[in-house]
Amino acid sequence: MSHLSAAVVLHDPESPAIDPPVAFPSEAGSRAAAADIVPATAPEEAPILSIDRLTVVFDRYGLEPKVALNEVELCIRRGEMVGLVGESGSGKTTLARAIMAAIPEPGRIESGEIVFDGKGLDDLPEEDRRSLLGRDLSMIVPNPRSELNPVLTVGDQIANVIRYHHNVPMKIARQRALDMLKAVSIPDPERRMKAYPHELSGGMAQRVVIAVALACSPRFVISDDATSGLDVTVQTQVLELMTALVRNQNASALFITRDIAITAHFCSRIIILYAGEVVEIADTAVFFDRPGHPYSIMLLTAFTHDPELRARWIAPEAELPEDCACAFAARCVRRQERCIVERPSLRRLSSGQQVRCHFPVEA
Amino acid sequence: MAPLLDVQNLVKHFPISGSRKTVQALNGVSFTIERGQTLSLVGESGSGKTTVGRCVMGLIDATDGSIVFDGQPLGRSHNIRSRGVRGRIQTVFQEPSESLDPRMRVGDILAEPLIYLGVSRADRDRRMAEVAARVGLSVTMMEQYPGELSAGLQQRIGIGRAMITEPDLIILDEPTSALDPTARAEIVDLLIRLQRETGAAYLFISHDLSTVRFLSDRLAVLYLGSIVEMGDAREVFAAPLHPYSTGLLASALLPHPSLRPSRKLTLEGEIPSPIDLPKGCALASRCPFVEDRCRSSHPAGFTPHPNHLVHCFNYEKVAALGSDADYFARFQAIAKSVLSVGAPEKKGVMA
Repeated sequence: MSHLSAAVVLHDPESPAIDPPVAFPSEAGSRAAAADIVPATAPEEAPILSIDRLTVVFDRYGLEPKVALNEVELCIRRGEMVGLVGESGSGKTTLARAIMAAIPEPGRIESGEIVFDGKGLDDLPEEDRRSLLGRDLSMIVPNPRSELNPVLTVGDQIANVIRYHHNVPMKIARQRALDMLKAVSIPDPERRMKAYPHELSGGMAQRVVIAVALACSPRFVISDDATSGLDVTVQTQVLELMTALVRNQNASALFITRDIAITAHFCSRIIILYAGEVVEIADTAVFFDRPGHPYSIMLLTAFTHDPELRARWIAPEAELPEDCACAFAARCVRRQERCIVERPSLRRLSSGQQVRCHFPVEA
Repeated sequence: MAPLLDVQNLVKHFPISGSRKTVQALNGVSFTIERGQTLSLVGESGSGKTTVGRCVMGLIDATDGSIVFDGQPLGRSHNIRSRGVRGRIQTVFQEPSESLDPRMRVGDILAEPLIYLGVSRADRDRRMAEVAARVGLSVTMMEQYPGELSAGLQQRIGIGRAMITEPDLIILDEPTSALDPTARAEIVDLLIRLQRETGAAYLFISHDLSTVRFLSDRLAVLYLGSIVEMGDAREVFAAPLHPYSTGLLASALLPHPSLRPSRKLTLEGEIPSPIDLPKGCALASRCPFVEDRCRSSHPAGFTPHPNHLVHCFNYEKVAALGSDADYFARFQAIAKSVLSVGAPEKKGVMA
């Protein structure tokens, strides 16, 4: 087991390369042992994260609870980056927060299970969960400036996370923090260690948040719309960095975004969320040549700026009964009687993707 | 005929309190907008796009330079509130939820600009109904509050509020960047249609290149308070001549895995601080073609084609790189073949 190494390879845009994670001497026990049992290259290993029929509701005073996520099922394998796409209000952030056990009040998990690395997150004692979150499972948040502590230097904030999870001396934690700043390509990292968040530009603050999220070499990273506030050039840099970290550490990532174009280039699979339901799961290679769900197609037509094509896929919102079986039926151009009475289940098409639709478009 | 808006050598420096230094937000920006035309200003955050818009609006005073609107110079005492200009320049802001009064009904928000033009109550109500129909807001929404509507509908209110005075020029400051892609496409369609119907000119400020492509006649690329390239939008997209524009255009992503932007030119690092601007070309620290003369002197404008201005010594080398212009055409071809499968024969009605 190698000890902390200061060598972090700066990435170049052609072939981003970040050093593999360095294990901390104090935690050689549990994680190293686990790594020995499960070789990282095993083809048929258990998924790192699986979500089984997760339903999240928000209680409302005097009203029926609002269903934010409805029986969401998905699993994410080791070493893959999965894109989760949906419009605002579709439940993307609620899903991220459910995984992180941080659903804001008055939301609650009504049913379902989230299994991370073979362990159900709900059954875990509070203490174990706290040590898992931020170390093995971490999240990159949007609005970096509001997430960082304004009265602590960047270096201290990263070092604190490391110190919380690994009982190492401050000196080692700070060295590791510096390595992380180098890994996320922050110019002049020694000076930035002593900078406060307000002294950083938006792009730099976002990279610091990424450094915090990746400081403990997590095995699973959630990025919640974390690049949407960045300029396109910086966004590309950050995405390449995340891809490199996922690839070189055999970690996994859930990349949540409103922009389906990003997922085409950086994710191996794509999940489409609509009104709290997974409506399509597909390999990126399949999806963009043959999207199956009418909603997925409607999302893609927004990028064509072809009014004729868009008009064919956008239906005027129909007046349908409240308890309509398919959530998308009111906006769907392929709607038939069956969609109103029978809830479609997620089923596999011949082209390989899973679609929740009675009348998907097939190859 | 004189252009509708003529901005010459616009300079804006913001003093920093407790220091003799200034933030050099704009350093000699010149452009013109003809009637009924759209000029788009693109650039990263910190490039000064919004400052240009705010100077034209008269929200801030320029340090130097001239702004002439329809033959009338705009400045300290003569601005968009003055008689003869009032109501002829309007603005749409970025965040619809933050630029609409949450305690006013939608109908009142739409009609408010007319109060300051002395329009009678009856005429205001009539114009409000016309504009609401034109931007796609229903009659029942006029009685609602903006918070009850989606972001896309809220932005329609912002556009309707700007349109109601029948302005000659609308300044659109990132009107689509807070929206979902679907709502964004609808707003772009709406803006194109409204321009055709009303003949208003647009100053469109955005960093969203895929949107800009669709509604610009002319395109100006701004970097650290200077225009580095300006020309016919189609021409700049097809064959950018400045290294910065080339890098910026290559970083726009399209939703198909085969349309990966090329890596012929990448810009490293971030936009430098506008407080201590370098002496020569502002891009020198990030440019792959940098030479000694770039660091010592500011490249004057070259016009290799009529109406195409570029501030770069090495624009010929940049042109030799070729461009990714056909990417979008390829995407449209793919989209047409993939997405037209399975659509019902009867066409949906556009909202």
